[in-house]
This record gives sequence, structure tokens and C-alpha cells, in this order.
Amino acid sequence: MISALLLLAGAAPFPISHSPFPVQDTTRGKAVYVKWCAGCHGDGGAGDGVAAAHMLPRPRNFTGAIYKIRTTASGQLPTDADLMRAIDEGLPGSAMPAWKGRLSDAERRDVVAYIKTFSSFFADTSQHVAALKFSGEPSGATGATALKTGRQFYDSIGCRKCHGDQGRGDGPSARTLKDDAGFPIFAADLHQSWRFRGGGSAVEIYHRLRTGLDGTPMPSFSDLIDQKFLTDEQLWRLAQYVRSLSPPEPPEVRDVIHAPQIVGPTPVSPDDSTWARVGRYWFPLVGQVVRKGRWFAPAVTGVWVQGVHDGRTLALRVSWDDRTQSPDSAWLPFEQRVLETVAGDDSGPPKAEPWPDQLAVQFPRRLPESPAGMERPYFLMGSETDPVYQWRWTSSPRKSLAGLARGIDRFDTLPGAVAAQASFDHGEWRLVFTRALATPDTANEVQLAAGRAIPVAFFGWDGSSGEHGSRMAVSTWYFLALDRPTPPGVFISPVLAMLVTLGLGLVVVRRAQRRATARAGRQR
Amino acid sequence: MTAAPAVRRYAAHPFWQAVGILVLAYIVVVWVVPLLPGSAIVPKSVVLQYMVTVLVGLLIYVSDNEERWARFKEPIEAVLVEPRLRVARAALLVVVTVLVGLIAYGQVATTVAAPPNLRSIHPAPPTEITFRGKSITLTGLENPLRAHPESLPLYLAEGKGVYYRNCLPCHGDHLDGQGHFASGFNPLPANFQDNGTIAQLTESFVFWRVAKGGPGLPREGTPWNSAMPQWEDFLTEREIWSVILFLYDQTGWKPRRWETEPGKGESGKGKGDD
Repeated sequence: MISALLLLAGAAPFPISHSPFPVQDTTRGKAVYVKWCAGCHGDGGAGDGVAAAHMLPRPRNFTGAIYKIRTTASGQLPTDADLMRAIDEGLPGSAMPAWKGRLSDAERRDVVAYIKTFSSFFADTSQHVAALKFSGEPSGATGATALKTGRQFYDSIGCRKCHGDQGRGDGPSARTLKDDAGFPIFAADLHQSWRFRGGGSAVEIYHRLRTGLDGTPMPSFSDLIDQKFLTDEQLWRLAQYVRSLSPPEPPEVRDVIHAPQIVGPTPVSPDDSTWARVGRYWFPLVGQVVRKGRWFAPAVTGVWVQGVHDGRTLALRVSWDDRTQSPDSAWLPFEQRVLETVAGDDSGPPKAEPWPDQLAVQFPRRLPESPAGMERPYFLMGSETDPVYQWRWTSSPRKSLAGLARGIDRFDTLPGAVAAQASFDHGEWRLVFTRALATPDTANEVQLAAGRAIPVAFFGWDGSSGEHGSRMAVSTWYFLALDRPTPPGVFISPVLAMLVTLGLGLVVVRRAQRRATARAGRQR
Repeated sequence: MTAAPAVRRYAAHPFWQAVGILVLAYIVVVWVVPLLPGSAIVPKSVVLQYMVTVLVGLLIYVSDNEERWARFKEPIEAVLVEPRLRVARAALLVVVTVLVGLIAYGQVATTVAAPPNLRSIHPAPPTEITFRGKSITLTGLENPLRAHPESLPLYLAEGKGVYYRNCLPCHGDHLDGQGHFASGFNPLPANFQDNGTIAQLTESFVFWRVAKGGPGLPREGTPWNSAMPQWEDFLTEREIWSVILFLYDQTGWKPRRWETEPGKGESGKGKGDD
């Protein structure tokens, strides 16, 4: 009964106030904040909750009133709508989730009011907080000239210094970057717009270019328009160019990698033209947070996988974004800062060392007897009693090994090798493993049969982010299928069905027409 | 306004009424039903069943009356016979034929799919487990921290710390299994807000699942897939009991108690209703 009354009260129209939101209640806001936000952002709003030490990027510190995602000019406070947006949509690529649908409208409004109480800047009502006047997006976003203009300004206003020549966050200054609090910060990988904190559309990118990301090294470029260095439209072209670097839609995770059968030898080079014609599959990788020596800040956020076979050999191409070709001694200070920022299971931060980049592809040693059999070894590198078969590649020394993993800390090399070729290009590793489908060691090496779902999993390490051993990015089990060309017999029954349907259809039409003619004849 | 009389004529015609009702039924089943609270997307086979039911109902209705039945057949007859509708007739024949071919191909073409993931969500717990060398009997076990109601705020604060330091990346800020690492795992991390997880379980069951994690699952729980750590390697007995207190407190669910009959647990949101 009381709850029904409360519901009615909640639905009653709020009085109009000067804030874009109806009445906000900081007392209720505090209750919501303490329950749902303080674990990361801290009781005092300083971004120092109990979970903060495991996070990179760190939770926002509200006491400074500095916000990345705003619609206001650089250095200005955010609007209430900006704060509401961050809560509603979350910040993709960080630990901040979208709270819309998780907390009620009133709860989210109240929390906005409460987090403003952490800083006296918001109390100063003489400051007029207003969103910038943004122009609308000009058309022709994907036209070649538009993108060329965008690229020109990408170079001339210095984007490449941090974001790199191809936009993967691998520019020469990337390894020096810190946020205002002194934490290491990665230049955004512009090929993964679904992880952009303020959203991945061209409009949102344009807004970030205009406002900058306060508290980070990302500046606002509004002043360049004022100085007539570039026009508003040219800044739009830049936003559209940045947008064009990512796929049109965030990649969808599909369970089964289909590796088509091709004629002739399988490609061994990662830059073979065959790969441009084969579908690629995205698999997200997340931190290894299961076994001791956990890692909460994985640098490899996912892998793109392609496969082809020729009936005898499989070629599997794995590509992923990595800012550095590790080991890179120039990145050691950055690596040290990352290791000091992200707490793990050790009592103190580990020492930065010149680790290589690594990638592992994992299979069970043997496929289940029946194709529907689902039993597999433990996804996280098997166990003592039920090991997994893995291919492991390291960037330095540049080599690949095949072996059995028995848990995350034990790997025994097998004599039967796997061939691998890798290339590093502007922040992207492209790696091709090739191996015969059938091998002599049937006890330990998976026999890659066509037409079956073969369990497969992936693991990645970025040495320059301090990743080594158990500090890695992991995936769960997925499947690889070596497709066979469709046998012609498959087409027989569809063709028969079509002929029968067409025949029946013609009979029905003919009969109806004959009946109609007969009727007409009778009437005459 | 010239379109209005034509529209009215169509609306009054039994054939077009039937078509309209079929389209409307499809929209309701496919798009409106999933919007209702507590329902999900309707599976294709069920959609087909609904549509067949609606079609049969429509046919019974139109054939119930002699004149209505005759009018209902008019447009069908016209398409089959009228010389001016020759194009429509040919198009209909081609479309139906191609559709049948595609459906037949879809039936016979084989593609490799992931094997079925038959998994027991809440497998039967053992009666006893060994926790760091100490034997703990699960049957009849209640959360020992609840025996000290005066200290509950302290335990809850402790449990909250344990949750945020350990569970958050997968089970998420809202305890709904959508943490920022959740998308990397299959099965997805448990959603504690859902009425099918902790709301249905005794705290001793939750203790077992937390302490032994994925590797401690029986075979029917597909232990090779679960990313749930064996928390006995990280947490003490008291830390696990305190985080369990936190899970129930934060979501508002009440644990099932051993005294109550199975199936009639005290589960239910403690919020609001009283």
C-alpha cells in the first residue's frame, strides 16, 4: 500500500526549476551513491574506493570537478546533462557501466546532484555552465575527398603524435602520457570506436575534438577554428576520418570460426592477398582474474581470427592491436608506471622488465568421440591431469612452439612444431600459424578434422604493459570449423521442391482459369 | 482525401481484413510480446504455432458465412484468372517457388555449429567439502555471521570490500553479472539480481560455489567452461561468509533457509512490499 503511494508520488509532475532536471534531492542522492558508486569512487568522491586500485583507467575523482566527457568548452564545468549522460551510458572501455535501466530516473538525477556536492566549483552559481553550440554533421562522411581532408588535418594538427600514423595509439609521444593525477594513460586506439569513452559516432568524436578530454592529454581543438587554422567543416572531416578507421558496427562475437577450403597451397605470410577474401572473426579478451597472479588491466582487448585450409594444411591468422613491438626499452618507464598503478596479488608492484609480446592458441589434445560431445579440458590452459595443446608465439626471440599446457604455470614443449610468420605494422601484429591437419603424434597434437567444431581459445600478452606469465588477457572456449565445399548432391532436393511447387502452382492457375471460362460460357 | 474511400473499401473486405489481422498478429507476437515485463523474445517455432492458430481461426470465421466466404475468395480468384493481373500472377508463382527452394536448401545444407551447451545451472551440492584442509558440512549449514546481529554492519562493510576487490570485474557494479570482463566469458557470470540465482539458494550452497568455483563443479556443470575462481585460494572462510551477506543485502533477496520446505523458500524481494 505504502509502496503504491510512493509510486504515485514518484509519478507526480515535478515543479519546474532552473536546472534542466526536475527537483534533485542530494539526501536521496547520497543514499544511492553510497550503495552503488562508493565502492569505486570512494565515500568522499575522490575516486579512491576499494576497487579503484584494480582499475586502469581509474574511477573519476569528483573532488576536482574535472570531467572528460562534456559538451562544454575545455576547462569548463560539465552540464547536468553531461553528468547524466556519463551515468546513463557509462564509459565504454572502462569499468564504468551504463546505469540507465539499472537505477531509476529519479535515482540517477539525485546522484548527479550529490556528486556535484563533492566540489565547491559547482556551488559557485556565478559561473554559467552552458554547452557549446555545435554545428550539424556535414554530408559526404565516407567520400574519398572528405576522408582525405580529414587525414590531412590528422597529420597537420598533431593527432599522430599520440595516436600514431595509423591511429592505433602508437605515436611517438604515447609512452610519455599521464593524466592530471599522474596515472599512465593510453592514447586511444582509433580502430576500436566501440571503446571510446564518450561514444564512437562521428558526432561524438567531433564533440570530443571541440571540448577536449579534460584531465587527460587530449586537448580541445576549438581554438584552432578561432585562429582560422582550420574550418569547422574540416574538423568534422577529421572526426569522420577517425570514425572511418573502425568497423561500421562494433564487432559481433560469433561462436564458430569458419575456415573455408581453398585450392592450392595455404598462405603462410600474414600479408598474403588471400586474407583479404576470408571472413574475420572477433573474440574479446579480458584480464586473467581467475588464478593467483591476477591481472586487471589487459592490454590486448581482443583478437581478429581468420582461417583457411586446403585439405592438408591449416593456416590460422590472428591479428591484434598492440602499441609496441616489445621488448622496447623506451617503454620501460611507462610499463613501470602501469605495474605500479594496477594492484595485483603480489604485495608490491613487480619490476618492469623487457618482456616480449606473446600469443597463444589453444586446442584440446583430442576431439571428443562424438561431434556433439561437449567435454573439454579446463579453458584456462588445462590442468595437471587434463592438459591442453597450445601454439605459443613470442616476438623476441621471434619463434613459435607447440606444446602441452598443464595450468597457467606449466608448459611442456612437444617435438612436433608449428610454423609461424608474423609482421608488425603501425601498432598491429599479424600472425599466421600453419600446421598439417593430421600429424603423427595423435596422442598429444589435436587432429584437425574438417566438418567438426574444434574447440579453440586465445591468450595474449603485451610485454610493454608488463604482461608476462599469469598477467595476460584470456578468452573462453570458442570453435574452429574447417568447412568443406558444398557437395552438388545437396542441391538436388531444393531443385526438386521448386519444380514440384511450380508445377502445382501452374495446375492451380490453369484449373481456376478453365473454371472461370466455363462459368463465363454458361452465363452467356 | 481521395485515398479514404479506397481504404475503407479494403478495410471492409473480408480478405484484406484477414491479411490485416495476420500482419497485426505477427507484429504483436514478434515485437510487442517481448516488451511486456517478464517476457522474452518468442522463439521462431512458437511464432509459427501462433500464426497457424490465428490463420485457422480466420478461416473458420470467413467460411462460417456463405456470402463472406465468396467475397473472401474473390481476390484469390482474381489473381489466378484476371488477364490484367498477369504480372501479379507470374510474380506470385516465382516468389513462392523461390521461397520453397530456399527453405529446402536451408534444411539440407549442413553447417558446423557449436555443440549444444547442456549445462546444469544449480547442480546438487555435496554434503560436505574440505575448505583449506578443514572439513565443512554443508547440509543444514547457515551463515554463521548471522548469529551476531549486532555485528552485521561490520560484516557487511567487510563483504562489500571483498566484493569490490574481487567479484566486480565479472559480476558487475549492479551485481547483475555484467561487469566489464563479463563479455569475455561463457557461461556469463551469475546475475544476482535475477530471481533464479541466489534468491533460490541457501547460503551454504553459495558458500560451496564461491569456495570451489568452476573447477569444483560436477561434470554436469561443465566445469571446463566456468571462469569462477576457486576462492578458497584467495579468501578466508569469514571473508566468503561476509561477501555472501553483502550479496543478499545489496540485492534485497533473502536466502532460502534450511527450516522451510524445499520449493517454498522465503525467497522474495524484501523491498517495498510491506
